[in-house]
Amino acid sequence: MNSNFSCKTCASADKKLETFISNLSVDTSHHRMEGQSIKCGFGLQGICCRLCSNGPCRITPDGPKGVCGATADTIVARNFLRAVSAGSGCYIHIVENTALLLKKTAANKGAIKGKIALAKLAEIFEVNETDEHVCAEKIADLVLADLYKPDYIKMELVEKMAYKPRFDRWKELGILPGGAKSEVFAGVVKTSTNLNSDPVDMYLNCLKLGISTGLYGLTLTNLLNDVMLGEPSIRLAPVGLRVIDTDYINIMITGHQHSMFAYLQERLIQEDVIEKAKAVGAKGFKLVGCTCVGQDLQLRGEHYKDVFNGHAGNNFTSEAILATGAIDAVLSEFNCTLPGIEPICDELKIKQICLDDVSKKANAEMKPFVFEEKESQSNEIIASVIEAYQARRGVVALNLDAEHGNDDTLTGVSEGSLKSFLGGTWKPLIDLIVKGEIKGIAGVVGCSSLTAGGHDVLTVNLVKELIAKDILVLSAGCSSGGLENVGLMSPQAASLAGPKLRAVCESLGIPPVLNFGPCLAIGRLELVATELAEAIGVDLPQLPLVLSAPQWLEEQALADGAFGLALGLPLHLGLPPFVTGSSVAVQVFTQDMLNLTGGQLIIDDNAQSAAQTLDSIIEKKRQELNI
Amino acid sequence: MKRIIIDREKCDGCLNCNIACISAHEEGSNFYTVNLQSPDAETRNFIKFDVGKGYLPIFCRHCDEPECVLSCMSGALEKDPVSGHVQYDENKCAACYMCVMNCPFGVLKPDKKNRTKVIKCDFCDDKPDGPSCVKACPKQAIVVKEVNL
Repeated sequence: MNSNFSCKTCASADKKLETFISNLSVDTSHHRMEGQSIKCGFGLQGICCRLCSNGPCRITPDGPKGVCGATADTIVARNFLRAVSAGSGCYIHIVENTALLLKKTAANKGAIKGKIALAKLAEIFEVNETDEHVCAEKIADLVLADLYKPDYIKMELVEKMAYKPRFDRWKELGILPGGAKSEVFAGVVKTSTNLNSDPVDMYLNCLKLGISTGLYGLTLTNLLNDVMLGEPSIRLAPVGLRVIDTDYINIMITGHQHSMFAYLQERLIQEDVIEKAKAVGAKGFKLVGCTCVGQDLQLRGEHYKDVFNGHAGNNFTSEAILATGAIDAVLSEFNCTLPGIEPICDELKIKQICLDDVSKKANAEMKPFVFEEKESQSNEIIASVIEAYQARRGVVALNLDAEHGNDDTLTGVSEGSLKSFLGGTWKPLIDLIVKGEIKGIAGVVGCSSLTAGGHDVLTVNLVKELIAKDILVLSAGCSSGGLENVGLMSPQAASLAGPKLRAVCESLGIPPVLNFGPCLAIGRLELVATELAEAIGVDLPQLPLVLSAPQWLEEQALADGAFGLALGLPLHLGLPPFVTGSSVAVQVFTQDMLNLTGGQLIIDDNAQSAAQTLDSIIEKKRQELNI
Repeated sequence: MKRIIIDREKCDGCLNCNIACISAHEEGSNFYTVNLQSPDAETRNFIKFDVGKGYLPIFCRHCDEPECVLSCMSGALEKDPVSGHVQYDENKCAACYMCVMNCPFGVLKPDKKNRTKVIKCDFCDDKPDGPSCVKACPKQAIVVKEVNL
C-alpha cells in the first residue's frame, strides 16, 4: 500500500487504540509520524518566508533579514496573520453555510427543533416575531448581512452578543471587526508581498479576526444549529470503536457542518429506506461519529437515538475507524477529513462522498449539497452506499475492537443544558467556586495532534493534573474525542479528581471533565464564561478560568486562540504556534497582551509544569476576587 | 573511529544542520527557542551553493593529518588518538588563526563577536546519540559512519 510503510507507530494516550493501530496492515498518520520526525528549524520558528521569488528567505546568523529587508519580526507576524486569516475563513465558511441553511429551512417551513435557542437568538438580536419561521429567517438574514459587510463597516451583532466590558475594550483597541468574510480578505492582502511590515498592527489584526471567528464562526454556528437540529441535553452515551455495529450499513461522517446531514439523517430511519437495507441483508443504517460533526451529533444525540450509533473517535482516530472494515461509506463536508483515509478507502472498498468541495478528497465522488435537491440527493447517496455495502461486506475482512471506548460517557453538555442541570441558575456553580470546592475552571479545547508526546498524550496528562488540583475541566473539540475514549468523561473518573472536586462530582454523579462536543462549542464555553462573569459582576479576565489548547493542530485553532486572547483569558499551548523566531511576537503574546486584553499565552509541553502554571493563575485570580 | 560522511547529492540546502549546530552550542535551547539572531549564534558547518553542482555541505572532516593541528603553535588544537576527533582548547588558543588559514576545506573561522577564538566542530562532545547536525538532517545527506584508519 505504501512503500515507506513504517512498522513503528507513535504513542497514544488511548492505549487500546495505540495497540489497535500498531497491529494494522494499513498505513495511518500514526505510522507516518516517524518518517516526518525531523522538523525544519526555520519552519518551527516561523522565520521562513515564501512570499516572493527572491525567496524562500530564512533568518540565519549570516542573513538576519530577507532579501526585501523583512526582519524576523515581520516574517513571523505575516505568517501568523496569514494562518489566522485562513483559520477564520474556515469557521466563517461554516457559519455562512449554516445561516444559509437556516434561512432556507425557515423559508420552506422546515422543522424548528430548538425553540429555546430560537427565543434566545431573537432576544439577543431584538427580533420580535411571533411566527417561528419568519423569526428564524430574520435571524439568519441578520447573520448573513453581517458576514457580507465590507471590512470598513462594522458588524452589527458584535455589540449585541459580546459582553459589554469586552466590547468596550475591543472598541478602545480599535479591533471591532468589519464584515467577517472581508476581514479574512483584508488579512490575506495585508500579509502579501511587500505590504504590511508592522508586527504589532498585524497582531491586533489577529485579535480582530479572533472576535469575528469566535462570535460568528463558533458561538453563532452552535446557536443556529441548535435552532435547526435541537438543543443538546445531558445523557450517557457509548464512545469508541465499540459503537460500530456490523449488523447495519455504516456511514462514517467527518466535518463540521452538521446541518447538511439533517435531512439525510431523517431519511435513513424512514421505513422505505430501512426496507432497502433489509433487502441487502442489513438491519438498517447507522451513522458512526468521527471528528467534530460526530461530536456534535453525540451532543444532540437525544434527538438522533435511532440513526446515530455513537462517536467513535477524533481526527487521528479516523483511519483506525475505517480500518475496522465495518464502515461502508464516508460522508464528508469539511475538515478534519485526512487525505490519509483515501488509500484505506480504496483498499477496503469504502465509498467516499463529499458534500462540499472545500473538503473534496482526490478519490471521492463530489456531490455538492443543494438544499432544494436534498430529497433526490439523499436517495442517490443511499443508493450508492447500499451498492458499496453489497460490493464489500463479506469480501472485506473485519477487524473490530469491541473493548475500545466505554458505554458511559456523559455528553450533551452545553451552556443551556448545564445551567438547567444546575437548576436554571449558575449560582450553585458559583457557590462551589467561592467555597473552593471547585478551585477554578479550565477549558481544555481544540484539536488532537500526534506531537507533544503522541496522540492526545499531553491533553490527557494535562487534564489529569488539572482535575487532581480540583480544577473542573470543560472540553470542546477533538480533545473531547480523546478524553472520552480514555474514560475521563465517565462518572467514575471522579476518582481521579482532587478530594474536593471528587466530592462534588460524586454527589452530582458527573465526571470531572465535561463534554461540550465539537470545537465549535468553544463558543459555548465563551457563553458559559460570559454568563458566569455577568452573574458575578466582573469582566472575563477576572474569572478563575483558564484556556488550554494543549494539542492545537491547525490554522482554525490559531483563530480560536486569537478569540481566547481577545476575551482576555490565559491560553496555554503545548507547542509554540511558529512564532518563537520573533522576540516581538513572544513579547506581545506572553507579556503585552495582559495590558491589551488581559489575555496571555503560555507555552509548555510538560503536563505537570503547565498545570502548575495554570493552577497558580487560578489561585491569583481567586485572591484578586477575595475568594 | 566515527566520522561524518557527506553525500552531497542528497543535500537540499535546508540549513537544518546549521540550526542544530547553533542550538547544540546554546545551552538549554531547542529548535523552537534557539536564538539565530544572537551575536553568539555561530554554526560550525556550512552549506554553499555552487551553480552547476548544487549544494555543497562543508563539515569538519577531523582529518587524518589535520592541517589545523599541524599549524597550531600554541597546542590549542589536538587530535584525540582514541576518537580521532580534532579537539580545540579555547584556553590555549592564541588566536593566531593559522588553523583558519590552513584548513583545506575552509571550515574553521574566527568567532564573529570578539574574534578571540576559533569556531570549530567538536563532534558534539561525542554524545551517545551522535552529532546534532546529523540527527537534524531530513535527507540523510550527512551520516555518522565508523571508519577504520
